[in-house]
Amino acid sequence: MHNAGVASYVLELHNVGKTFRSDSGVTVAALRNVDLTVHGGEFVTLLGATGCGKTTLLNIAAGITEPDEGYLCRGENVKLGESIAYVFQHYTLFPWRTTLSNVTFGLQMRGVSRRTRKSKARELLAKVGLAGFEKARPYELSGGMRQRAAIAQALAIEPSLLLMDEPFGAVDDSTRAELQQMLVELWEGRDMTILFVTHNIDEAILLGSRVVVLAERPGRIVRQFDVDLPRPRDRNRTRFTELFLDIRHSLSGGLD
Amino acid sequence: MAPLGAVVPLLALLVVWQMAAVRLDRPWIFPPATAVLEQLAHPLREHYASGSFFSNTVISLLRVLIGFALAAVAGITMGTLMGSVPFVRRAVEPITEILRPLCPIAWLPFAIAVFKLRTLPQLFGFTYTRTLWDQMQLGMIFVIFVGGFFPILTNTLDGVASVRRNYLLLARTLGASKRQVFVHMYLPAAMPMILTGLRQGLGLCWFVIIAAEMMIGSDSGIGYLLMYASDNSAMDLVIAAMFIIGAIGALLNFLMRGIMQRSVSWKGKEV
Repeated sequence: MHNAGVASYVLELHNVGKTFRSDSGVTVAALRNVDLTVHGGEFVTLLGATGCGKTTLLNIAAGITEPDEGYLCRGENVKLGESIAYVFQHYTLFPWRTTLSNVTFGLQMRGVSRRTRKSKARELLAKVGLAGFEKARPYELSGGMRQRAAIAQALAIEPSLLLMDEPFGAVDDSTRAELQQMLVELWEGRDMTILFVTHNIDEAILLGSRVVVLAERPGRIVRQFDVDLPRPRDRNRTRFTELFLDIRHSLSGGLD
Repeated sequence: MAPLGAVVPLLALLVVWQMAAVRLDRPWIFPPATAVLEQLAHPLREHYASGSFFSNTVISLLRVLIGFALAAVAGITMGTLMGSVPFVRRAVEPITEILRPLCPIAWLPFAIAVFKLRTLPQLFGFTYTRTLWDQMQLGMIFVIFVGGFFPILTNTLDGVASVRRNYLLLARTLGASKRQVFVHMYLPAAMPMILTGLRQGLGLCWFVIIAAEMMIGSDSGIGYLLMYASDNSAMDLVIAAMFIIGAIGALLNFLMRGIMQRSVSWKGKEV
């Protein structure tokens, strides 16, 4: 159910700003005046160049970083350590654990019995196409397989909000296409909201039900696009190309 | 099959040693290899009032294992705390940095003054058990504890402090409590360094016990037997004891290395 009723927001950011001070005293405005509402069940992609504060925005959403301007509200039962999962680009798995016990980690922390968490993890690993790799260590997996395992690890805690920081940035094109398709299918089968950071316009349109375009210095939202294309999405449709050009135009907006 | 390359030089050494010793003919300074081998072949033979090679080696090993176990528990706990809580590190590190360079043997007079000749069984209310536990003097164990503690502490501390922040974030977002972060994230992440610390610590404990047993006031242990034999000009016993000490040191190191290689196969392969 992807109902976007008034009270169903998962995340609301009001006028959020964040400034970092480096050791040498240089201040960098990572984010300024960010207003963003994310509704339950949405798949929001945050699109912007490297250094535009996308990761900071994700960390503020997670509750890892506190904003020093503005405020944010999270929906009911949306809480770090409970129902927010986070998939990073690198170091997404504990290297000392097997693939299976990486997936069971969150359930283990919640005191779920060994048997239940293992059977649930096996099920999830099969869903992300890693059946048979339960005993493999992360270093024995390819980059794409590690991200599959990381997604299974995140889904195991049944998050209501899934945060993803360029999770497919370090894999090759064909693997990325497979992972994108898999992620959309997993999202469609769940009552889960995704906030997905990318610098790839194509990926942002292919995945998102909404694309939020960020500009840099200071990081701020310049425009938002509702993606009204049916899924699975076809890059060859005229509407896809139009959106692509519109978004590219708004990304380079400051220049022309 | 024993590798021939290792046996030949050893045999050559023994032959040269034997020929030189026979020619020198001063066994109280330089005993022949055969005299030393003869002593090594009789590990249960009683020497003076101080027991056999075997009984004294067991006493030394037991002292080391007790002191080392205490050092491991304290060192890993303190190191994990100091490595993960900056406030604790700032408060404690000045103290440990002053005490660390101090040779553990320098603690012995202080330890004997504090613990007198009290033994481990006495700590639990027994007076005299007539077993080798009566040789577990608290002062000795304390000195071994000091010897093992610092390498374990500093390695654990470095290991925990260098854990990637991502693993902490990952553990926290997946719902780990503060205690669970210690047990399920910091400890396993730092395990390669912790094991390095344990290996260094055990080696140092074995160094320290031999030195401590050679000090005045000691009346048992392989180090004591070595010193006692030296006082009696029994150089064949002295050299045999040196062999045993060296062999056990090598064995302990070998065991620790085996444990390391098996338990942290992921080391250096983080992705």
